[in-house]
Amino acid sequence: MNVIDLLILIIVVTILVTIALGVMTYIAYKLRMARKPATSDDESTTARYFVLHKPPLDATDPPESDAS
Amino acid sequence: MPAARRRALISILITAGMVGGTALFIFWAVHSPLQVQRFLVRLVMISLILFLAILFLRYFALLWFAYLQHSEKTIRGGEVSSFMPPVTVIVPAYNEAEVIDDAIEAVLGLDYPVYEVIIVDDGSTDTTVTLARQWEGRHGNAEVRVFTKANGGKATALNSGIAQAKYSFVLCMDADSSIEPQTLRVVMPHFEDPSVGAVAGNVKIVNRDHWLARLQALEYIEGLNMPRRAQGFIGAVNIVPGPVGVFRLDAVHEVGGYDVDTFAEDADLTLKLITNGWKIIYEDSAITWTQAPTSLVDLIQQRYRWTRGILQAIRKRKQVLLRPFPDFPLWLSAMEMAFEGVVWPVLNVYAHLFFAVVALLYGMGELLLYWWILLTLLDLVVALITVSMEEEELGLVPYAIIYRFFFILFLDVTKTLAAVEEAFNLGMDWGKLRRVSLTQDAGKG
Repeated sequence: MNVIDLLILIIVVTILVTIALGVMTYIAYKLRMARKPATSDDESTTARYFVLHKPPLDATDPPESDAS
Repeated sequence: MPAARRRALISILITAGMVGGTALFIFWAVHSPLQVQRFLVRLVMISLILFLAILFLRYFALLWFAYLQHSEKTIRGGEVSSFMPPVTVIVPAYNEAEVIDDAIEAVLGLDYPVYEVIIVDDGSTDTTVTLARQWEGRHGNAEVRVFTKANGGKATALNSGIAQAKYSFVLCMDADSSIEPQTLRVVMPHFEDPSVGAVAGNVKIVNRDHWLARLQALEYIEGLNMPRRAQGFIGAVNIVPGPVGVFRLDAVHEVGGYDVDTFAEDADLTLKLITNGWKIIYEDSAITWTQAPTSLVDLIQQRYRWTRGILQAIRKRKQVLLRPFPDFPLWLSAMEMAFEGVVWPVLNVYAHLFFAVVALLYGMGELLLYWWILLTLLDLVVALITVSMEEEELGLVPYAIIYRFFFILFLDVTKTLAAVEEAFNLGMDWGKLRRVSLTQDAGKG
């Protein structure tokens, strides 16, 4: 087998393996999503609400460093 | 059967159907009469040339407009603007405990006279809100406020932040991103032009210590930022990216904020702004660092959501695709999104498959080899130009060799399957990716 044939083989095999890997990964993703705990249908209909958190009056610096 | 399992089963059946259909076609081609086989050989040769021609034209057009944008920016680079109105920074967060501190710290490091930071906790089930609340109050030029709401998705979190914004311009970003200090200073002068509705920033990959993340770093430069730069030249960037986008609040209110009916709320809002005649600009100095998935399944999960989200945004405007006038910028943006999101990926997968099979069966391997060498050279040249334009690390350029050969082809398989699922209108979940603290990543820059 000469170099040209070897390169052709590498390209063809890589293309086919990449496409197969893409399909398999996609199926793995779908299976992972299927295994996720089911979410309640009620969640999507829950009213959106705000809870405004009032900062303490003496709020000053961040916890660890002065980020200003 | 739970909905998630049912959806997965349907998806797998569709995938199996497509793979089976393709295999059947190949089987038919092999066993077809000699005349048909001769026709296929001719078809392959023409397709190879056409494929290269389309790719070349696409690259040439994008590079030319990107070059014009880059030149224009270089020419007016010395101009100093004093336009620095106060800005509201909105950070939507859902279960971002790992990264929220880094994000807030980066935002508070912005070099800008007056701004406020609104953290919108979208009903997190971890300690995101507790961590965020520790930052509440005034920090130098910035004031931090934290809100919490029931989980409703990113678009609702952004809308909530927009509703609370005190200032006339909003910077929307992701909680897993780390923004560069100069961002607002370089973006805001664009808004001196009253027709500019939004400015898209430059998203870069931070975790470059992994080969897959390095490939994505190159992809962001060559595949995402270069088209964005080209679109910016004509003021019609079609996606203001989620990790960094600055909007004129009036423009956002005018179009009704973010819609909640797509999984690509950034693309959808951008198209709405273009529809209303707003110019969308690209600013490459407005840099934000974001994390790239480092496992193939996580990557597929992200791209699946992007593809379906973009298709949902296009589907909402499908009538636009057939009508270039009078709304030409919108038509151009939607067409480009459709081409990049569906047409090209599908073409790419089937072209590669077709070429590989025919090369094997009909002894046309040499033609395939030269075709591949030309394609790779083209990718290397474009990578070199775009990496130079962004003053990025040259070490990313060699990745162009496997960029199209493996990476793009791999992603295009997902885009193809996601497009088919979107055509069938299958339900989907957001799919939260795993995060790691940005401070753990040493490879920034």
